[in-house]
Amino acid sequence: MFKKLIAESTAKSPWLFHINAGSCNGCDIELVSVLTPRYDAERLGFKLAGSPRHADIVVVTGPVTAQSLPRVLRAISQVPEPRCIVTMGSCPQSGNVFRGSYSVVGPLSKYVHVDVDVAGCAPKPQAVIDGLALATKILKEKREAK
Amino acid sequence: MSIVISALQYLGYILIFPGFLFCFLVGLLLSGIDRKLVAKMQKRVGPPVLQPFYDFFKLCGKETIVPAAASKTVFLMAPLVGLAALVVLQLFIPIFQFTAFSGMADIIVILYLLLIPALAQILGGAASGSPYAGVGLSREMVTIISCELPLVLVLLAVAKTVGSATGEGLSFSFASIAAYQAANGSLILRLSMIPAAIAMLMVIPGETGNHPFDAAEAETEICEGMLAEYSGAPLGIFKLSHAIKMLTLTSLFVALFLGGIGSGIAQLVALMGLTGPAANGLTVLLGAIVTVLLCIVLTVVSISFVHAVTARLKIEQIFKFYWTVVSGLALISLVLAWYGL
Amino acid sequence: MDLPFVKEAVKQLFSKSSCAMYPAVPSEAAPHYRGRIVYHPELCINCGMCERVCSGNAITRKVEKVEEGDKITMTFNLGSCTFCATCADFCSRHAIEFTGDYHMVATKEEDLLVSGTFIKKPPVKKPAPPKPAAAPAAAPAAGGAPAPAAPAAPVKPRDDGKPVNDPSKCVYCTLCARKCPAGALEVDRAAKTWTLDEDKCVGCGTCAEACPKKCILI
Repeated sequence: MFKKLIAESTAKSPWLFHINAGSCNGCDIELVSVLTPRYDAERLGFKLAGSPRHADIVVVTGPVTAQSLPRVLRAISQVPEPRCIVTMGSCPQSGNVFRGSYSVVGPLSKYVHVDVDVAGCAPKPQAVIDGLALATKILKEKREAK
Repeated sequence: MSIVISALQYLGYILIFPGFLFCFLVGLLLSGIDRKLVAKMQKRVGPPVLQPFYDFFKLCGKETIVPAAASKTVFLMAPLVGLAALVVLQLFIPIFQFTAFSGMADIIVILYLLLIPALAQILGGAASGSPYAGVGLSREMVTIISCELPLVLVLLAVAKTVGSATGEGLSFSFASIAAYQAANGSLILRLSMIPAAIAMLMVIPGETGNHPFDAAEAETEICEGMLAEYSGAPLGIFKLSHAIKMLTLTSLFVALFLGGIGSGIAQLVALMGLTGPAANGLTVLLGAIVTVLLCIVLTVVSISFVHAVTARLKIEQIFKFYWTVVSGLALISLVLAWYGL
Repeated sequence: MDLPFVKEAVKQLFSKSSCAMYPAVPSEAAPHYRGRIVYHPELCINCGMCERVCSGNAITRKVEKVEEGDKITMTFNLGSCTFCATCADFCSRHAIEFTGDYHMVATKEEDLLVSGTFIKKPPVKKPAPPKPAAAPAAAPAAGGAPAPAAPAAPVKPRDDGKPVNDPSKCVYCTLCARKCPAGALEVDRAAKTWTLDEDKCVGCGTCAEACPKKCILI
């Protein structure tokens, strides 16, 4: 029963950690707008955590530049299990318009397993909520599988 | 046999009623109401009231990472020490006339015990070996120093008011404070106590580390300071301690300034014609319910409302605010109490 | 201390929130929102313009030989798309459409691919059918230069959707040849010739659009 309680709670209280891997700031702004009074993700239990150690969901924006890659991987490795990695926007999935640049080493899926992709440039806040809701489900499954 | 019964009774006190379970439920409920109302005041819907419970149980299910640079024992023990201190503290704060451990502690002990959760956070943060924790704990220490002076002045004012009535000079005993209020009405009705009560309301968010006095736990600038390296269950216990601290401080406010309501409850029970243990039980139950309701109101006024209308202060601004405005209010109260107003 | 929001906070405490309750209440995108791509293979003529103008390299074209002709598969990777709609603007047949569907969430990268397939028949000899043609391998049959030697005679547009040049207006600027996605035009400035390779031409009309003198008819 306690295990079920924890799994239920995991689905209801996902905390986000946002990593900017060289993003143009478009997706970052959209992610922030998800937490504003207009879309208020807090009513679904989402909260922006200050430290990767507190997070459940890691949201990565940007095409993963050579400078940011080691930091991104380090921050992701600091997130306690069960964790879920969400790429936001087209950049971390493929590099988008930055593809082929000397400083871009993406896509992110080359280095870590990505759970959810949210496409869009930048995605609408509603799409971000969709993606995070999907990530929450995956998180719950991961917790139940433990 | 009677030893066993009294031992069981004390165990019940510690684990269930004014102790752990009560603290756990009411503390997290207060925290949830706080989050909901802050959201309401910011024109949002806000999380469900039970959100802190979800957060706590989720954190219990997460992996606990101990940083390589950390001192493991202190790192893992600190949250438990803080939580234990808060539960003990709650046992000593009277619920109107009822105290779990009567005659064993007075205001001075409360003053010391209130420091322990903050010190546990400082110890845990220092043991984690994170530079963010270093910045956070230095700020936390300044916040403690800032809050401590007005809190001591408020307690002195209360002690002087009660003490000059009973002829003791300064009365630090909770029992005499409760008895005085039961006989003469709540302290907040006295002119001299109003500035002290306002000062105490301002001390509450500072002591709990809530907005705008949360420079020590600023999540956006220093990654929640001392909690930066905590994850999983220890983090959950720190969050729980934070929630219980709201309950502790608001119920301290109720005990210090609103104790007169207790005599009203006693009269109500007497009107119902009950006597003996049933009457005692009902008084305690009603007292607890009234205390919880008052704690909710106080949380809304002193924590949620202040959170919604202010932005985070810098650490030197916090220090200045507490040592001038709040201490000034408490001092006025003390001087008035000295002249017996 | 200045507290400008005291009144506002009290007011909001008793009023309705301004939240869009998104997952419970579905919401539409704004009228010209550029969301998920819908590709219409039946309209496509395989000119390749979209692939050329795409800044995110999101469009790939695969050509397979089958019995009836060329099987062409266009794939749009939404995970690489900037949703700039340049491809839709350049498509002369309006085969690419941007819809208001923004729910582009996937757990696998394959879920973010939009693709369409069509079979393109090889050109039939005698330029009679209006079907556009392209056959990279089988291209010995030269269609013959369209109408360079027709002085002063009014140039009429052809009925098979392929361009024709009006030499009286043409200044041989070579812009059309540079814009042609199929590389079917050859313009020599010095010799003042304008040659069309009919096998390569897909009839997209890009040359006519690019022409500064508007002397290409289609």
